[in-house]
Amino acid sequence: MKKKAFSTVMSMALAGSLVLAGCSSSDTSGDSGESSSGDKTVVKMMHLWPEGSSNAQYTIVDDIINAYEKENPDVDIQTEILGNEQYKEKIKVLSASNELPDVGITWAAGYMKPFVEGNMFASLDDIVQEDKFVAGTLDAFSVEESTYALPLELNITPVYYNKEIFEKYNLEAPETYDEFLNVVKTLSDNGVTPITLGNKDRWTGSMWYMYLADRIGGPEVLNKAINRTGSFEDPALVQAAEEIEKLVDMGAFVKGFNGLSNDEAKGYFMNEQAAMYLMATWELPNYTTTPDVAQEFKDKVGYFKFPTYEGGKGDIDSYVGGPGVALFVSEQSKVQDEAKDFVSYLVEEWGKRSVVDAGVIPATVVDTSNGELDQMYVDILNDLGKATNLTLYADVQMSAGVADVHLNQIQSLFGGQSTPKEFAKTQEEALAAEE
Amino acid sequence: MKNVMSNKFVIALYTLPALLLILLLIYVPITLSGYYGLMDWDGIGEMKFIGLENYVTLIQDKMFWTSTWHSFLLAIFSTASLLLYLAISLVLASKIKGSDLLRKIYLIPMLLSSVAIAQLWMKIFDPTNGMANKLLEMFGVENTPIWLADPAIALYAIFIPVIWQYAGFYILIYYAALKNVPDEVIEAAKIDGASPLQIAFKIKLPLISGVFKVTIMLAVVGSLKYFDLIYVMTGGGPNGASEVMASYMYKEAFKLNNFGYGSAIGFGLLVICLVMTWITSKLTKSKDDVQY
Amino acid sequence: MSEISTQPTTTTLPASEKPKKSYLNKIGFGFLYLILGLFAIIQIYPLVWLVFFSLKTNQEVFGMSPFSLPQDPQWGNYTKAWTSGNIGLYFFNSVWITVLSVTLTIILASFVTFAVTRMHWKLSGLVLGLFLVAYMIPLHSTLIPLFNMYNNVNLIDNPVSIVLSYTAFNLPLTIMILLGFYKTFPREIEEAAVMDGCSVHRIFFQITLPMTVPVLSTTAIINMIYNWNEFVFVNTFISSDQWKTLTVGINNFVGQYLTDWGAIGATLVISIVPILIAFLFLSDKIVEGMAAGSVKG
Repeated sequence: MKKKAFSTVMSMALAGSLVLAGCSSSDTSGDSGESSSGDKTVVKMMHLWPEGSSNAQYTIVDDIINAYEKENPDVDIQTEILGNEQYKEKIKVLSASNELPDVGITWAAGYMKPFVEGNMFASLDDIVQEDKFVAGTLDAFSVEESTYALPLELNITPVYYNKEIFEKYNLEAPETYDEFLNVVKTLSDNGVTPITLGNKDRWTGSMWYMYLADRIGGPEVLNKAINRTGSFEDPALVQAAEEIEKLVDMGAFVKGFNGLSNDEAKGYFMNEQAAMYLMATWELPNYTTTPDVAQEFKDKVGYFKFPTYEGGKGDIDSYVGGPGVALFVSEQSKVQDEAKDFVSYLVEEWGKRSVVDAGVIPATVVDTSNGELDQMYVDILNDLGKATNLTLYADVQMSAGVADVHLNQIQSLFGGQSTPKEFAKTQEEALAAEE
Repeated sequence: MKNVMSNKFVIALYTLPALLLILLLIYVPITLSGYYGLMDWDGIGEMKFIGLENYVTLIQDKMFWTSTWHSFLLAIFSTASLLLYLAISLVLASKIKGSDLLRKIYLIPMLLSSVAIAQLWMKIFDPTNGMANKLLEMFGVENTPIWLADPAIALYAIFIPVIWQYAGFYILIYYAALKNVPDEVIEAAKIDGASPLQIAFKIKLPLISGVFKVTIMLAVVGSLKYFDLIYVMTGGGPNGASEVMASYMYKEAFKLNNFGYGSAIGFGLLVICLVMTWITSKLTKSKDDVQY
Repeated sequence: MSEISTQPTTTTLPASEKPKKSYLNKIGFGFLYLILGLFAIIQIYPLVWLVFFSLKTNQEVFGMSPFSLPQDPQWGNYTKAWTSGNIGLYFFNSVWITVLSVTLTIILASFVTFAVTRMHWKLSGLVLGLFLVAYMIPLHSTLIPLFNMYNNVNLIDNPVSIVLSYTAFNLPLTIMILLGFYKTFPREIEEAAVMDGCSVHRIFFQITLPMTVPVLSTTAIINMIYNWNEFVFVNTFISSDQWKTLTVGINNFVGQYLTDWGAIGATLVISIVPILIAFLFLSDKIVEGMAAGSVKG
């Protein structure tokens, strides 16, 4: 027994000395990374493309950094990479502590605004070259005429469909809403899930609602309700909600959609258990280049534009979509000039490579002439060129608080807990309260 | 004898390191958090002092009380589940054949991280392909539930994995406690002709009552501040139907840019925990703890 | 050793009831084993599921029944998990951070529990209360202030912040569990030792600690699992790859729009192996330690 106790004490003592040793040795390494390593200027960057899940994006960024460091030997770019959720959480902690990285990723409008108002992001007016970006994409990252972040992605949202299922029931990609309803009815009568929807994530259902609002009331009606030049109780917005209610009653959406995440819902489409899936173009790699997905399945996937509504004001070339993530430079950064220089370099190089290498449509104007592109990409890029309007995702336009009300109401509307009138009224109240 | 066991220096030496750690790393932060609760702060820009406004809002906030009620329900179910785990542990500790292997198997899910457990149960609850509904269909149920998507049952559905997740934890503690009952005591009882049930109820259970009380406390407090699976599996939805206090706090502070208000919710959570612990300790109080 | 199952109940009963009783006993035992067996299947299923999961493609992971076997086992998931990102380094960090934190927590918690239950002083109730209340504090409430504090003393991106946080946040739970047990341990031996003029340290290290090995193993298992699977602290306080742990490695496969579930499954399987082994080892200590303790008693 004595021996045992002795060895216990010894191991404790050992552990104790380890703590001390660990403490002193890592302290010094922490110090050296603080502002400069050697005589190099360190620029810290955080992004959300881990090597494992987003290898293509990771590689592009990595290559760009290497090239940049070669051209600027006195600059050292240090990256920290996190998954999506963890990235958002960490940014919160860092901004609350005034410790944002020199360069980082932000989302548009409603997400970005508090950071700009809190004086966290530096204005990028001095480096932005407006003509290089797709028209309108910078607006979502501007506050009071100043640009605070440079977008990297641009997405629109088509409806993907399974051509084989459609053929089996003699269906064609619908162009009008009535045709669309017919497709839904035929499929559901035959026991096929017409549409898969992961409405636990809520923004997924919001996209369906936004399209209906656009097709019925035209592109401005929802924007006006949000920017308070209009009202959410506009008849068109209520009517759009009524259409959602009808779709749900028809059994258009997969069973239990309010409890499924987008990832789970996507599974139904990928496994051919559902015929249609409305999602942004970031899904394109799954239907074109991703090696994990069987070619057989890829060949079955087509897409159509959200159909037009009879008597509605929206046209078929108006899309829900908009820029995705963008790069910001921290206002507190001690190396702001270097950071800005790097950001502008990165955005430009990213634009040259992202479609071909990663299947990401950049917010900068794409030159499709070089590199081989899958036909679906060519089509989408053409559609994008012809787009008459892009309506930014409603939850991104709104401030976080109102967005939460909107998204909860979307879930309630789809779930039948809110009537279209209540749906519109609740959001109108939330928007009005914030004015 | 009193002198050695009340040596002030030794007491300080034994308690101060741990005490300093929790004061510094738990109490100081929670105090700061209570202070943020007095602020109008989005966690990004400037703080604005608004006194007790957040706390006044909190008391009138329906969603807060709904989530409190949900947490409270979880606490009740978790506590009730302890009886089942205790029964299992009694069987395992009674030296029946294979108990060693069974014990190890029973504790395995405890090793899994929340990420894995959430994925598993989301697949079990999938309305079309999930195991739960496939089983129900086998028994001829036609209108199978949509589990996490149905506001009426989402909360109870999610309690199942949450409570199950801790099975190993409590079985482990009870098992260790039961194994701690000296063999001599049990042998003596057997010689006196006590049946296994009598031994269980008259000897084993009273002897581990101290441990049982601790686990009740752990279950109550642990449930009231529970967060993980609920956040991952339903995100508190649909539309707040499965929101609990901690998920509500997280949402306000980290998602909705109401850091000040989120801090106030955190503080409210603490107060409710304190009250519940006090009630629990009153309910489970007995005059003296039994010793071997 | 199976006395409970066979002889003890019958000794006091009238002879005439014996056969009936044992017949009932057999049915009862059959039923008991059926239930135990069912529960065992429920409990082991997640592990089996996880292994299947780790061998599936993303397409299979969703849509297919969770029962289903992987159609074409994707061993590549393991290669991916092991080669992309620094999983080897994360693994090493997980091990030493867990071992160090568990050791620290258990020794500090034992000190406190001993001082509170065995020694005589006025403020013991207050100190115990502080630990109890600390258990109630939600982690996310402390996150931003903690970050600030570590930042001020330059402990951000330093594993010390992780070890300290793990220790501090697990102390209350550990102390509460120990407390339940300490209350029931016989004091006679310790009291006798005091009579013999032993110092407090000797009593603690040579009598109390060895006697509590079963509980210590129990709390070690619990602490180990918690620390091993923790990620909020690591994610928040650590930024360089050098100090990240396995749970953060899982994030490596969570993308902006696409999550590689197969590789996550593989990472989870890889990460469960060490604690499974440690768990099996410690789990035996609960019983063995008891034997050692009762020799003392």
